[in-house]
Amino acid sequence: MYRSLAVVMSVVLLTTTATRASRSAEKVWSGLVIAENVTEPQPIPSELTRIETLLKKFFGYNQFKVIGQSQKTLNTGQEDWLATSKFFGLHVDARGETQGGYVLNLKLYKEKELLLETEAKLSKRSPLVIKGPQVGGGQLLLVLVVQ
Amino acid sequence: MKTFEEKWTAWLDDQLSGRELSEFEASLPDKAAAHAEKAEAKKLGELLKRELSAHPLKNEEFFSHQLRETIVRETVEERPERVGRTPRSTWWTIPRLVSAGTASLAVFAICAVFVMHQERAPEESQYLTQILNARVDPSVSPNGTVSIFEVKQERVTVLWTEGLQTLPADYAAK
Repeated sequence: MYRSLAVVMSVVLLTTTATRASRSAEKVWSGLVIAENVTEPQPIPSELTRIETLLKKFFGYNQFKVIGQSQKTLNTGQEDWLATSKFFGLHVDARGETQGGYVLNLKLYKEKELLLETEAKLSKRSPLVIKGPQVGGGQLLLVLVVQ
Repeated sequence: MKTFEEKWTAWLDDQLSGRELSEFEASLPDKAAAHAEKAEAKKLGELLKRELSAHPLKNEEFFSHQLRETIVRETVEERPERVGRTPRSTWWTIPRLVSAGTASLAVFAICAVFVMHQERAPEESQYLTQILNARVDPSVSPNGTVSIFEVKQERVTVLWTEGLQTLPADYAAK
């Protein structure tokens, strides 16, 4: 009887641990994207495929090029990271996991100049797109996706 | 119709009489040898009767006989018990199987509740990313404004800014 009880307890413990472990290890992709209208557009990067229709319809551009990106695995939900291009930097500071997402503090820098700051609850099922400044004939977009 | 052997046995036992006896004795080829054989058979019979009759048991023989009978009786009484006895207990007895089944169901219920709790469908607002606050640095972009769009069909949230400073195309470099 004690043996079966021990087996049952082990199964419960392993199931609980495995479930929690599988939930906590998630990746957030953050990218700096230049949207432009060109005569021969390049294929959209794979990270943006799921929101391709929205990007084209909403912003009116036909090419989306990643100029800086970062992929961060969140274990505690308290990590911070930086996605940079030559002139821009997106600092992401995760401030904890909530039900269904992460609370993030986002800061967009142009070199050392802070352009924009926002706090968002990033859902695991819903990407976030931020329209940045106009760059030449195109537009800087910031995209965050939980993968 | 009796055979010769039957008549011979009956003659030895003095069971033949009258005409049957005279006819049988007349059929014997050697009457003297037959009578001698009959006499020998009678002697043998008497000897067997005398020697094989049951003689009274002595005390020790009677005691041994009683003891043997008791052992045989007990052995016979024991046999049905052995046949009816339940098989040796093993680890997976019926009560233990029932207990294990109950425990498994309990574990399943706990896991199901746990998973359902974790997998409970979030409210609609939790499907979409929420902008809690946003600001444009007024010293850099004095006319900057922000708007929030939730595209529910695509499940995408867009933070739309206006009035940020325009930058030359060089800034699109990687």
